[in-house]
Amino acid sequence: MNKSSSWRTPLVILVAGSIILTLAMGVRHTGGLFLQPMTADHGWSRETFSFAIALQNLVWGLGSPFAGALADRHGAGRTILGAAVLYVAGLVLMSQAASPLAFDLSAGVLIGLGLSGTTFAVIMGVIGRHTTPAKRSLALGIASAGGSFGQFAVLPVGQMLISAYGWQSALILLGCGVGLIAPLAYAMADGHQPAGGAGQSVRQALHEAGSERSFHYLFWGYFVCGFQTAFIMLHLPSFLVDAGFTANAGMTAVALIGLFNIFGSFFFGWGGGRYSKKNLLSLIYGLRAIAIAIFLIVPLSTAVVWVFAAVMGLLWLGTVPLTNGLIAQIFGLRYMSMLTGVVFLGHQLGAFLGAWLGGRIFDETGSYLVAWLIAIGLSVVAALCSWPINEKPLVRPAGAPA
Amino acid sequence: MSPRLRWFLAGVGAALAALLLALIFMAYQMPELLLDWANIRYCG
Repeated sequence: MNKSSSWRTPLVILVAGSIILTLAMGVRHTGGLFLQPMTADHGWSRETFSFAIALQNLVWGLGSPFAGALADRHGAGRTILGAAVLYVAGLVLMSQAASPLAFDLSAGVLIGLGLSGTTFAVIMGVIGRHTTPAKRSLALGIASAGGSFGQFAVLPVGQMLISAYGWQSALILLGCGVGLIAPLAYAMADGHQPAGGAGQSVRQALHEAGSERSFHYLFWGYFVCGFQTAFIMLHLPSFLVDAGFTANAGMTAVALIGLFNIFGSFFFGWGGGRYSKKNLLSLIYGLRAIAIAIFLIVPLSTAVVWVFAAVMGLLWLGTVPLTNGLIAQIFGLRYMSMLTGVVFLGHQLGAFLGAWLGGRIFDETGSYLVAWLIAIGLSVVAALCSWPINEKPLVRPAGAPA
Repeated sequence: MSPRLRWFLAGVGAALAALLLALIFMAYQMPELLLDWANIRYCG
């Protein structure tokens, strides 16, 4: 555990970090609500809008290792503050963007960079440093549940703001909400010992992680997580409409996933403190494969859809506290933010592929069946990959920098 | 703080949290949100 100012207790850091994740993840989740009004007002195509959001997801993933390294090297407080400024600037400029290029730079690049520094990579690193190993997984689970709550709660708020004030004012109001991250960043300025000097360098830490098989298993496991969550969140409603359900059924399914995700994130965080994290990860991926297979096999009904959504919600972001907790456990806390950022890049690459491939497969075959089967296969691979992870702390040779 | 009061406050907190989650869940049934769902599908 790190020593810091007396008022920055682990509880204060946990609460501040959870609220930051709630705001950052929640506001990001409202992006799609702006498609209709923005494209209508500007005369843009849906592809123009979708490209900027896809760019945002990619920048978020690519920026996470760098944001993590910045936090490890120069402190989390400054990194979060800088990212919050970029996030707010992105939302404000998005409201004023008059050309696709300006929209790409604001909604895509600036908000993507803002997300890199205000979400899992940086926040989990600070929380991880300020909790004892026994309570770390639970704390990461609580913070994850905060992000899950944001995704669940801010979407209706965003819709209400657009309805009440119009999309431009709604973006600025959401920007004000993200601005609340700035004072909270002060609580996250934990005085983490800057990396460098006689200790392990960034390059050495990356090389060490890259030469460990367990790190690769975590990276590809997270890739599968991103693939499945993006595919299901984007394409499940269409799948249900094609199967004869109303749009309302799709909406309820999404709400159930969001609701149960809060409990799942907390539960698996708690479980990671008591049981083997890699076994729990393996269990999550295995259960996802079983749940999807049953969903495809049994005759579809409203009850089946609701149960499937609830089960998938429970298994949704439970991977976050377990994956981040394993990185802290195996590689230590010094470069936790950076290494968490690297595996998160895997998550985002998987998410990009899941979202894109789902649509592509549907266009090619007229059905989502092949995409569901890929999701099952990847889940089995991820379950098998998680099992051999060596979760013992890395033993460094005597005299090696740590 | 007595244990009984602590349990009472924890119960009130849990009930309020459950109420909040139920209200948010109901908000997902708003017609506007349903209409815009197609947009979310495009953007994730």
